[in-house]
Amino acid sequence: MGRKILLVEDDRETASYLAKGLTQEGHSVEQATNGQDGLFRATDGSFDLVILDRMLPVLDGLSVLKALRAAHIDTPVLILSALASVGDRIDGLECGSDDYLVKPFSFAELLARVNALLRRREARVDPAERRLMVGDLEIDPLSRSVKRAGKKLDLKPREYLLLEYFARNEGRVVTRTMLLEQVWDYHFDPGTNVIDVHVSRLRRKLDEGFDKPLLHTVRGAGYMLAA
Amino acid sequence: MPTTIRIALLAGLLALLSNLAVIGFIYARTHDDAVASIHRQVDEQAKVLSDVYRTGGKAALINAIEDTLDYADPQTVVALIDSSGKELSGNLASAPSFQEGYRTSVIRLRGQPSPHQAAIVMQRLPRREWLISGRVAGEGFAIRETLESSLLIALVVAGLLGLLCGVILAHYVGHRIGEIATVANRISARDLSQRVPVSRAGDAFDRLGAQINAMLDRIGALMEQLRLLTDSLAHDLRSPVSRLRSAAHAAAETEDPVEQEELLERVVRQSDALMRILSTVLEISRSEAFTGRNQFAWFDLGELAAELAEMYDPLAEERGAALVYDRPSRPLPLFGHRQLLAQAISNLVENAIRYGSAGGEIRIGVGQRNRQIAIEVADRGPGIPLDRREEARRRFGRLDSSRSDEGAGLGLALAEAIAHLHDGELVLDDNRPGLLTTLELPVHPVQRT
Repeated sequence: MGRKILLVEDDRETASYLAKGLTQEGHSVEQATNGQDGLFRATDGSFDLVILDRMLPVLDGLSVLKALRAAHIDTPVLILSALASVGDRIDGLECGSDDYLVKPFSFAELLARVNALLRRREARVDPAERRLMVGDLEIDPLSRSVKRAGKKLDLKPREYLLLEYFARNEGRVVTRTMLLEQVWDYHFDPGTNVIDVHVSRLRRKLDEGFDKPLLHTVRGAGYMLAA
Repeated sequence: MPTTIRIALLAGLLALLSNLAVIGFIYARTHDDAVASIHRQVDEQAKVLSDVYRTGGKAALINAIEDTLDYADPQTVVALIDSSGKELSGNLASAPSFQEGYRTSVIRLRGQPSPHQAAIVMQRLPRREWLISGRVAGEGFAIRETLESSLLIALVVAGLLGLLCGVILAHYVGHRIGEIATVANRISARDLSQRVPVSRAGDAFDRLGAQINAMLDRIGALMEQLRLLTDSLAHDLRSPVSRLRSAAHAAAETEDPVEQEELLERVVRQSDALMRILSTVLEISRSEAFTGRNQFAWFDLGELAAELAEMYDPLAEERGAALVYDRPSRPLPLFGHRQLLAQAISNLVENAIRYGSAGGEIRIGVGQRNRQIAIEVADRGPGIPLDRREEARRRFGRLDSSRSDEGAGLGLALAEAIAHLHDGELVLDDNRPGLLTTLELPVHPVQRT
C-alpha cells in the first residue's frame, strides 16, 4: 500500500536515488531541496512520513524538526545525517525525530526504517492489539509470555524484547543497527557480530523442532519475522 | 604613551598621593597645636584684663595696661579704645575692625615698621569701649613656616623618588613580560620549541611562565598526536581503499553475474569498514576535545556493565570463553556519557573476546574507591608485553597486523579518549596471565567551561 512521503534533501543525487527507490516500493514521494520549503510543505500534515536531511540550506534539519513539533505536527520524521558521532545521534533523537540514520547508508537500511516508521503510524491509528500473532506464534505483551503452536517458549528477557520487536515489524526487514538501537538502546557501531549471535540464539529457541521457520535472514539487509 | 612610562607615572603619582596624605596629617597636627597654645595664652590674658576692669574699673584697667607695656614684651598686644575710636592706652598703631571674640588678624604695633600676624581677643566693655589684647604669633608662625617649607621639600623628593621607583618597577615588569612576549613572537613565527625562561624565585611571573610552558607542551603534544594521526590515517586507509578499488574494478570486469554480485557485496563491505574507521577517528577527536559533556547525566554504572555483560555473553560463549560479571551489591552512580561509556566498555570486552577467548574466562568487574570508579575487563589470553602497551593504545596501533578483517586497531584508542572525556584514564595491566584493562573514572568529572 503506497504512502505519502516528503523527502527534504538538498543533494540532488541522493534525493533522486532515494525518490526512485521509494517510488518503486509503491510510495508517492514529494521533494523539497531546502529547509524552509520542506517545513512549509510538511506543515500541512498530510504526509505519512518526512525524511529530513540534517544539513540543509536556508533552514537546517533540526530547526525544521523543532518547528514541526512546536506546531504539534506529529508526522514521523526520519533524520538523515552525515554527522555520525554518538553525540550527534543523541542530539538528533532528542529534537523529536523518530529515527536517525547516518550517511552513507544502504537503501535496504533506509527502507527497513521507513517501513518500521510507517508501521508505527498504522499502529498508532489502530490501537495496539492485545496479542501479537505471527503464524502459529502467539505473543502476549502484558504477561510477556510466548507460545508457538500452543507450546510455551522459555525466553530470557532480552530475547523476549528482541522477539516482540520482530513481531511488531512482522513481514518487514529489520536491520542489525535497528535492533541495536531499538532493543538495546545503544547508538554505536559494534565491531563484532554480537547482534547476529543473539538473533541466532533466539532462532534456535523459536524455530528448532518446527517445520516452518519464522525468523528469516534477509541477505545484505538483516532479518525478518514472517509466517 | 608606552606602558613603561605609564607605569612609572602611576607609581610616582601614587607615591605623591600617599606622601601628601602623611604630610597633610603632620601639618594639620602641628598647626593646630601651635595655634591652640597661643589661643590659650591670649584667652588667659584677656580674662585677667577683664577681671581687672570688673573689680577696679577703667582706671585700674589702664594701670594694668601700662604695667603690661612696661614689661616691654615685644609680642604683647594690648589696647583700650573708647567709643569714638581713640586709643586711651596701649601699643596699637591702628585699630583693627571691631568684632567681639577671638581671631587672628594682621596688626601693626606702635614703633614697629611692619605689621605682624597676631592672635587677639576683642571685648566690648559696658561704656562702649573696646578692650583689645593678644600676642604677636611670631615664633609659632616661624616654626610653622619652616615646617611647611621642609614638608614641601619632602613632598617634592617623595614624588621624585616615587617616579624613580616607578621607572625601575616598570623596567623590571617590562623586562619580565618582554621575555614572555619574545617567546610568544617566536612561537607565532612557527617555532613551537621555544619556552619562557623560569627563574627560581617562584613569583607570579615564574608561575605565569610555567603555565605558558605547560600550555605549549600540551599544544606541542596535541600537534604531534595530530600529525601521527593524519600520517597513520593516510597510511592505514591506503590498504582498505585499495582493496575496495580492486573489488570494484574486478566487479566491472567480470562477466559472471554470480561473481559480480559477490564482488559488489565486497565493495559495500569495504566501504562500510572505511566509514567505521572514519567515524571512530571522529569520535576519538571529539572526545579528546571534550565535546559531548553537555550530554553527561547520572546513571548506574553497575547496571550498564550488567547490560553489556548480558549482551556479550553469547558471543564469548560462541568463541569458547565464559563471561563472568561480578555485579556489585549496591548501585554505582556515575556522572558521565552513558552511550560513550557503553561503547568504551564494549570495546574492551570485544578486545578481550577477540584476543583472549582462548584463555577461557573473561571477567568484568566494577568497583568504587573514594571518588573513583573502576571498570575492569580481564582475560586469560596472551596479554600485551609491557614494552608494547603504549603501542597498543595508540590509534591504529594494532599489534597483529595480519588480522585485517576485524577492527582497525582503534578500540583501545577510543576507550582511552572516552576515559579522558570523563577526566579518567585507561590502564593496561598484566592479569598474570592475560590482559587487564581498567577504566578509572572520577564519579563526577571536574566541570570545564
